Parts: sequence; C-alpha cells; structure tokens
Amino acid sequence: MTVKDTSATDGQSGDAALARLSGTLDVAIERLERARPFAKARYQGPVLDVLGRIIAQPGGLGVVRQRAARMDAAGLFAGSDWDRPEVLMPQLVGGTLMSEDPAFQALEAANLARFLAVADGEARHDNLHQEGARHFLTQVLALNLKDIFGVPDEAARTLGARYDLKRKVLTHIADHVGLNDVLSVLVSEIWRLLEQRSVQVGVVKDMIAQIAIALNEKGTAPGSSRLGAERLVSALFGPTTASRDDPGIAVYLERLSVSDESGLSREAMGFARAMHDTGLVSDYHAAFLTWALEYGDRPLIPEALGLGSTGLDCWRHYRGLIENLVRRAVTPATPQAAYGLAMLLDRGILHHAPMVPALERQLALRIGGVARERIALGFGPAVSPETYLLAGVLRVLGQPLGVGQGANPTCQSARAIALWALNDPDYLLHLITQVAEFDTLLMQFEGTPINSADLPAGLAGTGPIDADPVSVLLVAHLDRIYAEMGRLCAGRPGDPHTWINPQFHGWWVSRDCAVAVDVATGKLADYDDFLRRFFAAYHPDYNGGRPMGHPQPAGIAVTDAQQTFVGWHAIAILRVAEDQSGRMRVYFYNPNNDSGQDWGDGVVVSTSGQGERYGEGSLEFEAFLSRVYLFHDEPLRSQFGQEIPEEVIRIARDQAISSWAADRQSG
Amino acid sequence: MTDKNPEKGYVALLGWSLNAIDAVDRFDRRYVVVAPPWAEDYCNQNGIPFVPWDFDRLNERSHELAHQLDEMGVDVAIPIFEETVEWAGAVNAVLLKNPRLLGQAMLFRDKSLMKRRAQLGGIRVGVFEEAHDRGDVIRFLKRVNQTLLKLDGDPNDPIHFKAFDKSGTAGHRVIRTPEDVDNIPDEEFPALLESHLDGWEFAVEAWIKNGKIQFLNISEYVTLGYSVFVPATPELEAHRDRITEEIEKLIEVFDIDFGFIHPEYFLTSDNKLYFGEVAYRPPGFNALELIERAYGFNGYQGLVLAFDPKTTQEELDAFFPKEIEDAKGHAGCFGVYPRRRVVSRLEIPEETANHPYFEFHELSDPREQKVAKRSAFGTHWGLAYFFGDNAHDLRDLLKKQEELDYYV
Repeated sequence: MTVKDTSATDGQSGDAALARLSGTLDVAIERLERARPFAKARYQGPVLDVLGRIIAQPGGLGVVRQRAARMDAAGLFAGSDWDRPEVLMPQLVGGTLMSEDPAFQALEAANLARFLAVADGEARHDNLHQEGARHFLTQVLALNLKDIFGVPDEAARTLGARYDLKRKVLTHIADHVGLNDVLSVLVSEIWRLLEQRSVQVGVVKDMIAQIAIALNEKGTAPGSSRLGAERLVSALFGPTTASRDDPGIAVYLERLSVSDESGLSREAMGFARAMHDTGLVSDYHAAFLTWALEYGDRPLIPEALGLGSTGLDCWRHYRGLIENLVRRAVTPATPQAAYGLAMLLDRGILHHAPMVPALERQLALRIGGVARERIALGFGPAVSPETYLLAGVLRVLGQPLGVGQGANPTCQSARAIALWALNDPDYLLHLITQVAEFDTLLMQFEGTPINSADLPAGLAGTGPIDADPVSVLLVAHLDRIYAEMGRLCAGRPGDPHTWINPQFHGWWVSRDCAVAVDVATGKLADYDDFLRRFFAAYHPDYNGGRPMGHPQPAGIAVTDAQQTFVGWHAIAILRVAEDQSGRMRVYFYNPNNDSGQDWGDGVVVSTSGQGERYGEGSLEFEAFLSRVYLFHDEPLRSQFGQEIPEEVIRIARDQAISSWAADRQSG
Repeated sequence: MTDKNPEKGYVALLGWSLNAIDAVDRFDRRYVVVAPPWAEDYCNQNGIPFVPWDFDRLNERSHELAHQLDEMGVDVAIPIFEETVEWAGAVNAVLLKNPRLLGQAMLFRDKSLMKRRAQLGGIRVGVFEEAHDRGDVIRFLKRVNQTLLKLDGDPNDPIHFKAFDKSGTAGHRVIRTPEDVDNIPDEEFPALLESHLDGWEFAVEAWIKNGKIQFLNISEYVTLGYSVFVPATPELEAHRDRITEEIEKLIEVFDIDFGFIHPEYFLTSDNKLYFGEVAYRPPGFNALELIERAYGFNGYQGLVLAFDPKTTQEELDAFFPKEIEDAKGHAGCFGVYPRRRVVSRLEIPEETANHPYFEFHELSDPREQKVAKRSAFGTHWGLAYFFGDNAHDLRDLLKKQEELDYYV
C-alpha cells in the first residue's frame, strides 16, 4: 500500500486524497460485507463515516456510485427504512440530505447513488427496475429544483456545509439523469395542480419561477415538455404581445398609453386566454385591469376578464360595483383576485338578491383587533388587511372548491367555508363581517346560542397562517364552535356529526346520518345496511333518478397507497353522475391541498379527465363508497332503494374490508 | 453459517461477544455460544447455536455445564471474557480429561497468585504484595518510597492498587498520597499492590499450540488507556527475541499447552524486562481487530485453532502469517474521551479527518451531556482507527489525538 506519510497540512492533491479515501472505503465495505447479518450494524457506521468525507471531495460521488451496488449487497441499508427502496418517498429526500446527523446525510447519498447506478444500467436490484429508479430520481430533482439553480435563500445559507452537500448530490444526479425528464415531470405536476384551481397558488408560482430560471440557465432540448413549460412561464411573466419580453410594469404601462384600440383589445384577450388556460394571473394583467378603469373610450374589463354570457350580464347590471371591486381588490400584491372575480361573475351569484349589498358591505368593512393582526402577520404590509381580505373573498367566492386546509388539522372548517362559498355565499360574507368587526362568531346549536369568543381554543389554536385570508380569519372560530357543538352532543349515542353537521352548515344538510362503525368499538356495525342506504340515497339508478340538490358533508377513512388506514377525514359529496364512458362516479370536494391521492388497491382519486369540474375529485361509485364511513340522508325516505341486490354492494364491501376495515370486523 | 467441518473440533464460546460469534460463525468449526439467558431470543432469531448459562462465581454447577457440553459432543471451551476463564478451565478439565486445567485457570484469575508463581519460576516481577486494609496500603507506599531513597518532601512514586480478578483498567487505582488511600472504599479489599515500574509498558498477544508459540504479536501502547498500535516500532521490535524467551518461560512456568495469552511487560531504563500480569483470554481494546487490519487474519478464528484439539500443525502454519514481514502496514486505535465537562455533539477534529492515516471511527453522539470525572480509569466513548506505513508517524499521531477535542 503506497500511503504518503505527509501530514494533513501539506498540500495533498485532490486525486491522491480521493484515491486514499477510496481505499479506506473499500476496507470499510469489506468489513461490512464479511460480517454476518446479525453483526452488520457495527460496521455500517464506519462506512457512512468515510462516505461523508469522500463526498466532500471532487469526484467523490462518482466513487460512491461505483460502489453503490456493492455497499447495498454488503448490507449498508439493513435494518433501516432504506432497506426497501421500492417504498421510499422522493418528498423526504431533500430534508434528509440536510440532516443534522451526518450519518443520515451519508446514508441518503448512498441510497441515491444506488438508484443512480440502477437508472444508469450499471447495477441491478431485485426490487428496483431501471425505469422506476429513473422516475424516482426525476421526482427528487423536480421537488428540489431550487437547490440546483438559483441563489440559496437565507435559511439555506445558514446551514452552510449541510446545504452544500445537498446541492452537490443533486447536481451530480442532475448531470447523470439529465433535466429534460425533470422538467417534464415538474411541468406535468404543475398542470395537474393548476387543474384543481386551488385558491393558494404561491407554491406553484415558485415552481414556475424555478422553471423559468432553469430554462434560462440550462436550456433543454425542444419538445412538448418545453412547450408546456413555456406556457406556464409566459402565463406568469409575459402572456401578451406587449408583455412578452417581461419589460417591467412601468415600461408596460407606457406601451399601453400609446396603444390603439385594437391593440388594447388584443392585450385584453391575451390576458383572458392565459388566465383561463392556467388559472394564474400575471402581474401585467393586474396592472392592465387597474389601468383599464380609467380608460374611457370603451370598457376593456369584461374582455380582460374573459367573461361568458352570465358574467357579461352581471357586468351590465352591476358595473359600478364591479369596477369598485377591481379598484380595491386587484393590486400588484393580489393579482389572483382578478381570476376569482371573473369566476364569481360567471357563476351569476350577483343576481342573487343579498349578494350585491353584501359585497358593498364588504367593500366598506374595517377589520379590527386580533383579526387585523393575524392578517397582517400572515400576508405582510404590502397592502392593507382589508385589501387582502377582499381579494381573498373574491377568490373564495369565485373558486369555492379551491379552499384548502394547508398544513393544519382543520379539514372540517375548510370544508365548511367551501360549502358556504358554493351554496350560501351571502352567509359566508355575514360570518366574515362578524369576525372582522367583533372578533367573534355567533351560531346556534338546536336553539342554544354559541359565541366563539367565549370558547377555549380548539385544535387550530389561533388559526392557520399558511392559508387564504378568509380561512385565516374564520378557521379558529369555526374550529372552536365545532368543538363546542361536539361537547353539547356528549352522551348522545352514535357519531356526533349526525347532529353537528346539519346545525353547523345549514338547513340543506340532511338531518339523518348513517355511520359504518360503532363509535365506541371502532368495529363495523350493520355494514351491509349502511352500504344499501348509501345506494338508496345517492345512486340515481336506485333513488328514483334524483340528482343531488345540495352538497352533503361526508366522512371517509383515508388509506395510503398500501391500503393502510391513515385517519378519518372530512369531505363533501358534490354530485353523482356518469362520466364520458358511462361509469357512475361520485364527484367530491377534498379540503386537502392536493386532491389527487392514491388510496391503495387501484382506488386513485382523479382530478381531471373523468368529467370533473375544476377542484373536484372523483372516483367510481363503488370505490368511493368503499372509503365512506359516515354520510347524511333524509329522515323521510321514499320507497326507492328497498331492494338492493347483494352483487351491487359486494364490490364496495370487499374493497373496504381489504383496506381500512381489515381489522374492524366484529366477531 | 459457513459449512462446518465435522472432522474438526466442536468448540464452545463462553461469554457473549458479537465480534467473536461473527468470526466463528464464518469459520469451519462447529460452535455453540454459552451465555446468560437474556441472549436467548437474539440467538434464536439469528440462527446462533446457544446454551443459556449464568456465570456467577464458580461453584459445583461447573460440572453440570461440563457434562451438558460433553453430551453435546463439544471438544473444548474457549473463554471470551475474564469472568469465564475459570469456567473454561473447569469445563475443559472434564472435556479434555485434564484436571490440572482448572488449577491453571484459577492462577490466571488471581493476580497475586499469578505473580507469585511467576516469581517462583524465575520471572522478574516488580515488588508486590496483598493488601487487606488501608493500613497495608499506607505501609506499602511508605516502604516502597523508602527503598527508593526518597527524602521527606520529595513527591512519592506512585503505587498501583488492583483488584485481583478484574480485566483491563477496571478497579485499577494509582495511589500517590495518603489522601488517595483514604478514598478507597472498603469493598475493594483485599487487593493487589504493585510498585510503579518506570519504563516502557507494552503487551503481547500469543497463540499457543502444543506448548509452542504459533504467532507472537507485540502491541505498543502510546499512552496507557488511550492508544495502542500494531506492529510495534522497530525500537520495541528489536527486543523480540528476548520477549519471545520470556513468553516461553511463561509457557513453562504456567504449564500452558494450548490457548491464547495476553501478558503485559515493562522494559525499564536499565534494559530489564519485568512481567506485569497475564490474561488467558482475548485482549480488550480491540487488539485483535488491529492485528486483523495489519495482518489480514482473524484473531478469534486463530483462538479456535489454538484451542481445538483436532487442529493440525499444517493448518496452523497455513493460517498464521510471518510476524512483521507479512504486515501490510501499522494499525492503531485511539480511545476517545471528552475533554470538556459538558458536551453536545461529536465533531471529528479537522486535522484528524484530513490526515492520510485516519480511517474511520466508531464514536456515537453523546447521550449524556455531562461527562463523569475519571476517578479510576473509565471506559472511553468509542474508538478512532488509524492505518499507515510509518510506525513513528502513527505513534506521534496517536499521541497528538490526546490534545484534540472530539466532543464539543
């Protein structure tokens, strides 16, 4: 062995250091290889120790990749989560690469090297095939794109060496996997999210900005993914002829001031197209709308909002109000209000008598006290809290199914806001006024008044900060009231939602309730009856052909992709109808931010392509029913649905029992 | 499990050591592990052959164990830890039909008896005595220092206070002043007292078969309790012939036919070799691991060969390499102990991490934040491993580590 015995301070060339460390790594791997399975744990640490040092060297990752398969076979991952690469999640990789514990960093780097070796065809693995490995790495890159390009933010900077390692590893993977695929994965992902027309678009806009930088810096091969990417980037940064080169707002406004009418018309339509294509509003669009308020020759706003016939009709009737809404809500800090407004107008809710006075009241509203502080805290000082709230109101009223719970355990409150926006928009505005002016909500439970200010904090504490302004305002109160209603139900047999849901939401929630499990034991109870009742209430073939009149809250058992029970969740059933291929589907609203979820055993929620409207999730009827544990139906039931045959409920029952209900059968 | 050779011996490992089990499982001898009952589940889960046994003080039950192993067809028992040496002796007395083996084991387990026997056999030992109370210690301290012609006021040479039957530095105190004597608790008596030998302390690992040395390794301590490396520097190796002679004397005096011994010696400034003590089981401080790193053979497997009555000389010749000549380099380890009272994380010193001789470490992140004061020698928090061409550089590097903070 030719080891140079120079001390550490002598300049040792990078190559020599790498060669030496590779030798040391081989020694450590050999010890691990030789050891019996029960003795391996002791030898893993030293391998990880050397890995950490080798990765810091130029060329080190290449060395690791060459040995990845050997380390895997030697048992480096034995006894850890990484031992089953086929169930690893790409979302967790970024965090682990910056772990405080260098052993975890090294382990993840070795894991990625293993994937890389399989993706490159250099190695084989029993549970990983080439395509799967490639896909995994592409997702990892897509989810961490900002760490490969762009400048690290403050948080990343303070992490110093840990962040550097993450960048190094990701860059190495990117060099091997290539970014074409990454972009196309990312772009598909973004389009999928945009399809759901969520009210919160901050994260998506960030991702698009990263794509813009990536396209700029790296420039990838032309192809459909590039087109899809460009559509996203242009929708945000240059949707129209006069804004294509992203010149900045000041320059853009100058161009407007010297445009002729047809030019302006073209601008307006360009904005409308981009907005309705993606659901995103560019800053230029917001500036155009504000500018158009002063343009006297002819109204440009309806064109720029891309209004349909209903929307145009509202514009004709309520132009003054609409212009005020544009003036007050559409600002550089709140451009998405424009999309909310457009959708709101096309819904026609202004034709509902109380709405116009309610919106006028909203325009004049002053927010006080704690409510004002929370909005200022959540959104910053760029514009007044009233403006943020107004913009939020327009978005929620325009995109009721876009309300999300954020990273908070408040699905019930988010659902309520969405249902009111859908069904009772004037009631929603009434609640907002109460909270804004008096920092409380007044509701009733079967005649007993409830005042949220008197109640202790619920699950939500002081409320979410990472949600839309309406949620930030209301959720803490709704949460407390929900809990109080639960307390008022104490002692009643069965699931308290039976009484809470109708009292909480409105008259249109059916007063009767079916529950699949016995609340006390958690075991299935009269499950066949439960299934039949759902068919009789919701399936057009069995309920006399009746469509749903109002959305109904329901409770589901969420399962993960391995069909393991995760928890109970609040959703709302919106409608039941046939899709294009004639299959009966349930269309529903899920307050989770991303409705496209895999609940195992082929039960994968669809968010587009099966007749869904924006924001809906859908499943085939039986698949949906297999996850339902609670639903509402009318106390006065017709003769329909008395004779529902066994084969009809069998599919749903089997799917339930093979997943969340697996260990809940009684007896 | 590797394929086992039924023609060769069936060995029993007394005491629980994962390293030993791992090595023997990979070897071609049939084996069984004899260890306390808490190991049973683990052995069942991992396919390790197992006999549960409680190793308390040796008593008549040793015959039971011997009988049980005999029925199973076991040929010989190998002690892994200090506490199982006498059990192995008792069991082997039966298995090998050699009653003297028990007496021999008892000798190895009592430092005082051991030294007396060595002295009787003409081996040079330092001054030693048994102490039954603190008075004995004071008297010994005074007498030793008188012999060294110390005047009143000169600092005392220290004496060493050791338990009879503990391994390593456990129960070892260095006594300098009468105040140190006061700190000794009653339970630690009776004990062995030794005069301080000023000199070069080192250890030897020797595998013995048929009364002959099959392989002799000299381990050089850099600082006792901190670091050791293998093979030794040329300066120490220069004494190999004399040391070999001393080991052969040991073999004769203690009547050792087979097995493994781990004696300690002092080379004083007047060039004399003094015997310290000898253990009849594998050394602590991962010396076997260092030997494996330097030479490529596994010490535990060597142990099995040495104990197995059916081992042939050809096997031994093929297994053990040539000392020094066949070494691939020098392997050393350093026992890390936090230098600060309160520590929160592990951080390998940069100059160590970048040094070409540094290989890897087995140090864990601190669990307790407070560091216990070392009254007796305590146990370290893990080892850092080094390997290189030049013995002097390695020695100096290991010495340097004592000034560095691994835990901050």
